[in-house]
Amino acid sequence: MRKTLICALVCALSLGLAACGGSAPPGAVGSASRGQLSAGEPIKIGSLHPLSGSAAADGQQMDNGARLAVEAINAAGGIASLGGAKLELLGADTQGKPEIGQSEAQRLISEGAVGLIGTYQSAVTANVAAVAERNKVPLVIDVSNADSILQQGYRYAFRVQPNATVLGTHGARYLNEVSAAAGKPAKTVAIFHEHGPFGVAVRDAFTAEAQRLGIQVGPVISYDPASVPDLTTQMTQVKAADVDVLMVAGYHRDAVLVAQAAQTVQPGVDAVFGVGNGGFDLPQFPADVGAAGNGFLNTNFHADMTNPRTRELAQLYRDRFGEEIRTAAVLAYDAVRVIAKALEEAGSADPTALRDAIAKGEFETLVAAPGPISFLENGENRNAVPILMQVQDGEVKQVHPTSFEEAAPVYPATPAAR
Amino acid sequence: MNPAVGSPAGAEQAVPASVAQAVDGDEGAVAGARSTRQRLLWLRFGVVVAAVALAVVMALIRSGSGVVVTQSIVTGLLIGGVYGLAAMGLTLVFGVLDIINFAHGSFLAFALFVTYWLVSVGGVHPYLALVVVVPVMFGLGVLVQRGVLAKAMSEPLENQLLITLGLAMIVENGLLLLFGPDPRAVALPGDHGVPVLGAVADLSRILAAAGALVLAGLLFLLLQRTKLGTAIRAVATNSTGAQLVGIDTRRIHLLTFGIGTACAGAAGTLVAPLVTIEPTTGAMFNIVAFVVVVLGGMGNVVGALLGGLVIGLTEQVGALLLPGHSPLLAVFIVFVLVLFLRPQGLFGRSA
Repeated sequence: MRKTLICALVCALSLGLAACGGSAPPGAVGSASRGQLSAGEPIKIGSLHPLSGSAAADGQQMDNGARLAVEAINAAGGIASLGGAKLELLGADTQGKPEIGQSEAQRLISEGAVGLIGTYQSAVTANVAAVAERNKVPLVIDVSNADSILQQGYRYAFRVQPNATVLGTHGARYLNEVSAAAGKPAKTVAIFHEHGPFGVAVRDAFTAEAQRLGIQVGPVISYDPASVPDLTTQMTQVKAADVDVLMVAGYHRDAVLVAQAAQTVQPGVDAVFGVGNGGFDLPQFPADVGAAGNGFLNTNFHADMTNPRTRELAQLYRDRFGEEIRTAAVLAYDAVRVIAKALEEAGSADPTALRDAIAKGEFETLVAAPGPISFLENGENRNAVPILMQVQDGEVKQVHPTSFEEAAPVYPATPAAR
Repeated sequence: MNPAVGSPAGAEQAVPASVAQAVDGDEGAVAGARSTRQRLLWLRFGVVVAAVALAVVMALIRSGSGVVVTQSIVTGLLIGGVYGLAAMGLTLVFGVLDIINFAHGSFLAFALFVTYWLVSVGGVHPYLALVVVVPVMFGLGVLVQRGVLAKAMSEPLENQLLITLGLAMIVENGLLLLFGPDPRAVALPGDHGVPVLGAVADLSRILAAAGALVLAGLLFLLLQRTKLGTAIRAVATNSTGAQLVGIDTRRIHLLTFGIGTACAGAAGTLVAPLVTIEPTTGAMFNIVAFVVVVLGGMGNVVGALLGGLVIGLTEQVGALLLPGHSPLLAVFIVFVLVLFLRPQGLFGRSA
């Protein structure tokens, strides 16, 4: 009996720990000597990413990306307008936990970081953004797509990647364009989405735009990306509904389950179409699922492999770290360069001057986008627009819009049987 | 024959019943108490089946498609087998050593990585990896018990709990250090969909569930039909008593923890083709395994298998009944109900 109670308590506790987190950020640190550089002292940039925990793969890539950017800038002579001052990256592990991200952000700022980049998980970013605002230190968000982060009226938070609403809206448009061009316009779409804020926001934006374009949406099925063991039943629901396309908004582990279930159940759709999907456009996705993932489409912000400078970075990354670079790492690379260029233009390492330079400036990007990074009043990047990718012959290829095309889209792309 | 190894005494029934379980050869006087218990067990089993049937009918009404419901039942049973598999070693250690082994999930993850390594580097068939994984994990379990846990056996429950929690972190982060954070996959050669009553199931899932049945059978035989098993049950029932009749309880503890860890190893290899292999994969199994253990009755190996099936079905059918929620919602509704009505678990005896 006692054992039962303790065990139940343990279960409840571990669930509770996973669920909670995120209290109010503590007060600002003293800012007597903000941005005062003595000669030869490096300018510190804080990098907050999940280096351990379930998102460690992306987190470590992003930390690597940020380090490569700092190295490149220092090798090219540092910040010229500040007497060639060098940059120094202060790395921190958020563990993917909001409260850890918050305290680490506070720590990096007290250690003299003049700007922050990060963090990957929206819940963590929300807390870090609050700390940055409180301390008047600019935060350049590389990855995190929850719309709500920038709806707080913050002046010190900027986001490089598109938010969930932009992803969902463009997803519906691209699906409409590509399917119509192939002569098999999608008329009915079923949705799988992870049940967190990201999946819900993408679902809502996608549904609104799809309905505007005359596409019927349903059934809509949500799941818990952390614990869902299998998606066969859900795939059978899609099959029973007899729809044209299956839209999926989720992460890597569940993306693998989607591919396996599609291969087993054969839902009879024209395409499996990801929107902001964290799995379908990763370099190792085709390797992990084999032929099951062939033809999968995904609308996402993506490193522009038609840009020679991106390919150069990808090669450097491969040589240094022995694996393929992911878009998340390219975004971290871009985020550091945003801060570096803004420092150059501000001619000062004062965080407030840096913030103003970021808000005013235009910054080159290695990600597929219609223009340079440049921020709106609310901190969103006005040129953050996703593109469409497809798994073709075991490789992720850019297929739409035409200006970023590495290969023509294949449509219909019915999931292969075994 | 009662499959349970845990719970000191059957307070619900007459006292001699517990003696009968502890020592294999039981006679006459206790037969009456035993048949009452058998009847109660069947009654409980019937209630569970009736509840499942009701849920299925409701799911059928709600989804309106027979194939979808069939699929959810097939998937639920197969996943349930996997859950039972993951929980078996945990329940054994629970019942005999009174240790809540928080490291069980990370042992499972460790086995996943060993399997991955054998398959990718050694090129062996995934199931052939069992030959290596099971002995290695047994050895690891014995080492952990001897080196770390044996000293804490007489200490309060919290100490052991913290030790296993620490072990879990060491294993998980050790794997992160060694293999890196990239998700990995093991493919079963020749894996394909098998039609089952209009639904489909991957061969690898069917084999994993079958593996769970075999493992439960083997453990049952070990516990009920061998001298070692009798000794293990004796230690579970009354450690001091077992010591008095000449059983080396330290050795039994070592072997039991070893067997429990070997079970995690077997589970790891069997589920390797079904999951994305990451250092954190084990943690995912931990919560469900704890629920299964409590549901099945602590220390009850066959109960763990049945508990796993109940959880698997609840999760899948529950997702149809309560769309838009975590599958754990339905699982915990059932869990709380069971704890409320039968705190000793569905198939356990009262403590």
